[in-house]
Amino acid sequence: MHFCKKCVYPSASAVKLTFDEHGVCSGCRVAEEKKKIDWDKRSKMLKDLAQKYRARNGGNYDCIIPVSGGKDSYFQTHYVTKVLRLKPLLVTYHGNNYLPEGEYNLSRMRQVFDVDHIIFRPSEKALIKLNRICFKKMGDMNWHAHCGIFTYPVQIAVKFKIKLIVWGEHGYMDLGGMYSLNDFPEMTAKYRFEHACRGFDWYDMVGDEGLREQDLFWAKYPSEKELEESGVRGIYLGNYVDWDANVHYKLVQKLYGWQEARQPFERTYRRFSNLDDMHENGIHDYLKYIKFGYGRATDHACKDIRAGYITREKGIEMVRKHDYVKPRRDLERWLKYIGMREAEFDRIADTFRDPRVWRKNKKGKWEKDNIWDEK
Amino acid sequence: MLKKRLIPCMLLQNGQIVKSIGFSDYQIIGNPKIAIKFFNAWSVDEIIFLDISREKEYTKRIRTDYNFKMLYSFAEIVLECAKICFVPLTAGGGIKTIDDMLVLFKSGVDKVCINTYAAKTPNLITESARKFGSQAIVVSIDVKKKSNGKYEVFIAGGSESTGLDPVNWAVKAQKLGAGEIFLNSIDKDGSLSGYDLGLIKSVTSAVNIPVIACGGVGKWQDLVDGIKIGNAIAVSAANIFHFTEQSTKHAKKYMVDSGIDVRI
Repeated sequence: MHFCKKCVYPSASAVKLTFDEHGVCSGCRVAEEKKKIDWDKRSKMLKDLAQKYRARNGGNYDCIIPVSGGKDSYFQTHYVTKVLRLKPLLVTYHGNNYLPEGEYNLSRMRQVFDVDHIIFRPSEKALIKLNRICFKKMGDMNWHAHCGIFTYPVQIAVKFKIKLIVWGEHGYMDLGGMYSLNDFPEMTAKYRFEHACRGFDWYDMVGDEGLREQDLFWAKYPSEKELEESGVRGIYLGNYVDWDANVHYKLVQKLYGWQEARQPFERTYRRFSNLDDMHENGIHDYLKYIKFGYGRATDHACKDIRAGYITREKGIEMVRKHDYVKPRRDLERWLKYIGMREAEFDRIADTFRDPRVWRKNKKGKWEKDNIWDEK
Repeated sequence: MLKKRLIPCMLLQNGQIVKSIGFSDYQIIGNPKIAIKFFNAWSVDEIIFLDISREKEYTKRIRTDYNFKMLYSFAEIVLECAKICFVPLTAGGGIKTIDDMLVLFKSGVDKVCINTYAAKTPNLITESARKFGSQAIVVSIDVKKKSNGKYEVFIAGGSESTGLDPVNWAVKAQKLGAGEIFLNSIDKDGSLSGYDLGLIKSVTSAVNIPVIACGGVGKWQDLVDGIKIGNAIAVSAANIFHFTEQSTKHAKKYMVDSGIDVRI
């Protein structure tokens, strides 16, 4: 295993990376592109695009914005309503694990933006089952959330014949440099299935713990035929706007009273990310560490190094401080939520350790290469 | 007249589909089987797989929590993909011998694509055409423009010069028994600036066998130009088809609207 020479990503990262001859990862290379983009031109392109999708005679919503209520959701909604002057319908998949601050931000969107908002909440019983099933199946209790977030807004778009969906950043492009900024990638069924859902779909869950198709309507993506006929298109705002989370969160704090987490997270130093799911920065992220040997602090450090907010040294310090932490508070909440003992959790979690990352030392303890030992 | 063809080219590196820029910069798109599953439904005419791995390690970039089986060799990947592929499948990359081809044909491909060893051992074209039929042998030609403005054929993933002129080499490949030419431009690769139409025209006017144009597509009009101006029988691209929903379907619709006879 080796690490990117510029950020702190390990070669065996969850988001797949390529490295150039200088040992710099594809994520860093795409982040460099950002500085060369003519963002005024991009903003003009987006305005032209928006014009095409403006509903004729005000007969429908102009677009959908999938929102969690986070800083990015606020920024997207700000941009769509104030800059593009479109009438959006906000759509939320609610995974039942919001932090109180996240819930507050979510519920205020219809107040501060003068927009309509659908918040979809699956049955708690079904969600608890899915937490348990997916933890066992793939070491990821939050699979339902990845699936719901990428599915439900598109369902609504097809149902209401709203042709444009405005997503925020392209996650894999931002973290891993999957595409270049000149590619203008859009959201696809393939991306949802392969990367968000990692090859699992709703039908893989049917039958487990008595889950039925009827419990999973929200997880069914529109068919190829429906997509073609509806002409629904999902664009990423990140292709048109110089995306800087550190700037955006301050902006939405100032303009709309958006709130960050009051309590620090155990596994990362940022307080303005992932408020829509307490486990996303907690036990879900700890599983990422179990699998790939790194966690959210690495992700956040990479973003902040690339954007010039911290040095690589500072990033390594954050990785060292947070990545290994087993989040007690969060783990206990989750174990209680789904009814599992910690020993069982540990036993199942260990089966997901990637042999390319982890090895057992002579004392039988798991160990791996660490970025701070690198020469 | 035969219908024109649209062929996504899947570049495989270490078992993953990648995007390529200038034959040197790569970005990982994902799993080849998933790509086949989707492109099947998006009205493509054929699919070309090119293994451009520098080292033969096919699993090191794959997540272990994916719901996909680990595949440890190019032949294994091809075998799994051929099973679910509804359209003719061509495979290439690293083919040196008739035996290499046999492995791929047995895995279920319809055609093989040879590049480096076609140039190094031209007899391979003749031998393979005799054994499998010309229709199953595609000769791939990677071209770079030199500083004096002349074109030259490069091999080994664009890393070795050959001194060959692409037109002469294409004519020779046809004579030796090639059934099709897959013509790519190293300078245009990943540029999104359109095909090198001059290059394509020069080759299509010199040979009778079908020429598949590749390299540089940045918008659907480029595909139309490849056929109308470049006179290519088939148009291919790698990167662009990974960017948007039902990409090849939209490309085909655009081609039809531009008066090109394609299956939709």
